[in-house]
Amino acid sequence: MSTPLDGPGRIVVFDGASLALDPDADGRAFLADERCFEGPPLERAWASVCASIDPGATIRFDEPEVQFARREAFAWWIPLLGADLVCLTTLALDGARYGGAITVVRSERDLGDDPFAQLFPGRVIECGGLFSEVAPPPGPVVERYAGAPWPGGSFSG
Amino acid sequence: MDGAGTGARPQVGEAFPDLDLPDHTGRGRRLSEIAADDPVVLIFSRGWWCPKEQRAMRVLAELQDEFEVAYSKLVVVSIDPPEVQSAFRAGLGARFTFLSDAERRWIDRLDLLEHTDTNHLPYRPAAFSLFPDLRIHAAYNGYWSWGRPTAEELRRDMRAISREIRPDWEL
Repeated sequence: MSTPLDGPGRIVVFDGASLALDPDADGRAFLADERCFEGPPLERAWASVCASIDPGATIRFDEPEVQFARREAFAWWIPLLGADLVCLTTLALDGARYGGAITVVRSERDLGDDPFAQLFPGRVIECGGLFSEVAPPPGPVVERYAGAPWPGGSFSG
Repeated sequence: MDGAGTGARPQVGEAFPDLDLPDHTGRGRRLSEIAADDPVVLIFSRGWWCPKEQRAMRVLAELQDEFEVAYSKLVVVSIDPPEVQSAFRAGLGARFTFLSDAERRWIDRLDLLEHTDTNHLPYRPAAFSLFPDLRIHAAYNGYWSWGRPTAEELRRDMRAISREIRPDWEL
């Protein structure tokens, strides 16, 4: 298990087939936008998880391809999902490294077009009871706030 | 102003009303939620059909590359329904939020009805540069095209607001 450095966000552990919020669960740990866990969790939901359990699988957040995927999210991924979108978060390993992304929807559907799958392959898994609804980011800001996993965080603490 | 009847056009120094409207995906939004901790350029546009608006929106689409790394938001309000805005937005390559007031819930309250277009009854083109708390830093009346803010004026507005709100501006 690769333990993330300290940083803003909620720890999510991915074992290649399922997600867990227990930091001690088996799998690779990431930091996610903590707003995705602040409300009542949806009992039925599905997630496109674009991440690898390989501890070496990482890209710097500021690399152009990561910026591009975030632009794609604004341009068409979020509009395509529309009201089906529950929440979306990138996965950080620390303040500088990107490890993947999760898009959560409320109905089982084809999520193969996920733009973040261009960075790390995606798979769709059931994730009821974990994620709550968060209003999608309004755009066009792709920068992170104080090192938080995009699109979360703020400058006001 | 929420709940008021015919209102007064928002003035510099006042707080802009916290608009509650569906975005281009049909999801309900509030202006304050979109702003969060960032300055906002808020544009009122006639609609997709107007050549002047198409030109103005292309300028915003060019500016978004600067906004996306500058912690600043762009929001466009028009009377187009969400599905029309979504198509227009995609055609522009825009990555910012459009808000739909197809029901014209805010147009009178903001005193921004373009009375001269009795066919569409659209918003009169206008622009506001806002602090994160929605206070108005600058206002522009774009009924005549030269009244619209230039890209440079919007940059200056965003600089002035950011200088005031970012405590480490002088770092």
